Amino acid sequence: MKALIVDDERLARLELRRLLAEHPEVEVAGEVRGGEEALSMMPQLAPDLLFLDIQMPGMTGFELLEHLEDLPQVIFTTAYDEYAIKAFEINALDYLLKPIVPARLAAALARVRPRSDRGRLEQVFVRDGERCWIVRIPDIFLLESEGNYTRVYFGAERPLIRRSLNALQEQLDPACFFGLGGKKSSISNGLTK
Amino acid sequence: MKIKIAYWTCQAAGWGFYTVVGISMAAQQVGWRFSMIAGYILFGLYSIALTDLLRREIRRRQWLNAPTFTFARLFGAALALAAIQTFLVFAIDLAFNQGHSMVFSRPSYIPVTWISVSGADSIWLLFYVALTAGRRYREKEVRLQLALREAELRALEAQINPHFLFNCLNSIRALVIENPPLARDMLTRFATILRYNLHRNLNHTVPLEAEVDVVSDYLALESIRLEDRLRVRFAIDPEAGKIAIPPMLLQTLVENAVKHGIAALPNGGDLVIRAAINGDSLRVDVENTGSISGPTTGSTQVGLSNTRERLRILYGNNAQLDLQNGDGRVIATVIIPRAV
Repeated sequence: MKALIVDDERLARLELRRLLAEHPEVEVAGEVRGGEEALSMMPQLAPDLLFLDIQMPGMTGFELLEHLEDLPQVIFTTAYDEYAIKAFEINALDYLLKPIVPARLAAALARVRPRSDRGRLEQVFVRDGERCWIVRIPDIFLLESEGNYTRVYFGAERPLIRRSLNALQEQLDPACFFGLGGKKSSISNGLTK
Repeated sequence: MKIKIAYWTCQAAGWGFYTVVGISMAAQQVGWRFSMIAGYILFGLYSIALTDLLRREIRRRQWLNAPTFTFARLFGAALALAAIQTFLVFAIDLAFNQGHSMVFSRPSYIPVTWISVSGADSIWLLFYVALTAGRRYREKEVRLQLALREAELRALEAQINPHFLFNCLNSIRALVIENPPLARDMLTRFATILRYNLHRNLNHTVPLEAEVDVVSDYLALESIRLEDRLRVRFAIDPEAGKIAIPPMLLQTLVENAVKHGIAALPNGGDLVIRAAINGDSLRVDVENTGSISGPTTGSTQVGLSNTRERLRILYGNNAQLDLQNGDGRVIATVIIPRAV
């Protein structure tokens, strides 16, 4: 499993590398200092897993995720961030608090599923103001086009993401979603709420 | 509600007393006549109504507020009100007794009534002014207490940033293997900062130089985290170092400059801390590379407005905190009076 470490502090990256040395199944394919570097490295590295700091200069961890078209598994690493942690607790995303407890790292890694089908979108990152979600594609029951944005329906939520429905559709399994109403302005997976 | 009940009780008791005394004095002269007693009771009732109208008018025109307050105007109001009451007394007497009215039998009673009712109205107003001033003073005291408590709470919040503490511990954990002597040094500095934060007494001041020591430890720790992204320079006038400042004042400004200024720049920047005595005041500048137009402006402003509020409560209008932005630099300037 290939992992990319994104953190602006060298010592924090070094520390995480040392902790990951205990987990031979994780190969640290690279480390970068921030969002811009990550964006340029991602296509070439194609990591399965991202260790992502939240507060970084230039681009925050959340902003990076919004820019990624193909979202790998993400484990957030943060020192102390009330807002971020609140966001995670609502959505049960995985996060590790620095200094990282080795047992917590092992537990987080145990939950990471290796990617099965390359080129297919498995999950999307959605942010709506203070709240954010990493939504698995099977949990989405409706996608609705709103100009260059797409409204994502899952659970009781319906936030917007900054990608057009057409762009999203190209990455989705055509067997899972079908168009509604002939206008092609929304697609559904046929499940109801 | 309580105030309202007290007010109406005073009204009833005051005018009731005046009426009862008036009736018993008049009875000695003219005997227990129904028209006299009825006249007095009516007088008590419309006096309550009229003084209440006066009270409403005083409140509406804000006569009791400091800049416009004069006793002369209140006394004038008492005379005018007494004139109305006197007019009512004799008008009613005339209506009841017609030809036998006091207006004809004892015309000298008219000015006497006016003068004595003016006296009663003046006493009424004195009570009203004294009680209102007392109540306002107590309310102001309570408000001041609340403001102080709030400021103390805010100052408590101005503790060292937990994000920094945990990042620091994480860096030290990495350093333990990479550079053990540096790790040991950092742990000692970490302890100094923690001790300063745990033991500080918010009601006392500290010499600037004591806070500068803690700030240097803080910056040394931030330097291992930010490495070559943080470049620090101190220019503290030794005389200025002895001036007393509220604890955490400099720390808050420096933390702001690092967190929102330098840490937000991918290539880092310079931080300059200057302190000098300027006449009767101490001037401290914290200057960093960057600009305030960044995305984190909101939290910077909150931190600064808390500090500003604290300075206002401690020094009134004699202290100031300004933030200047320009030329790729942000300068926070604090001016506080030299302690006497």
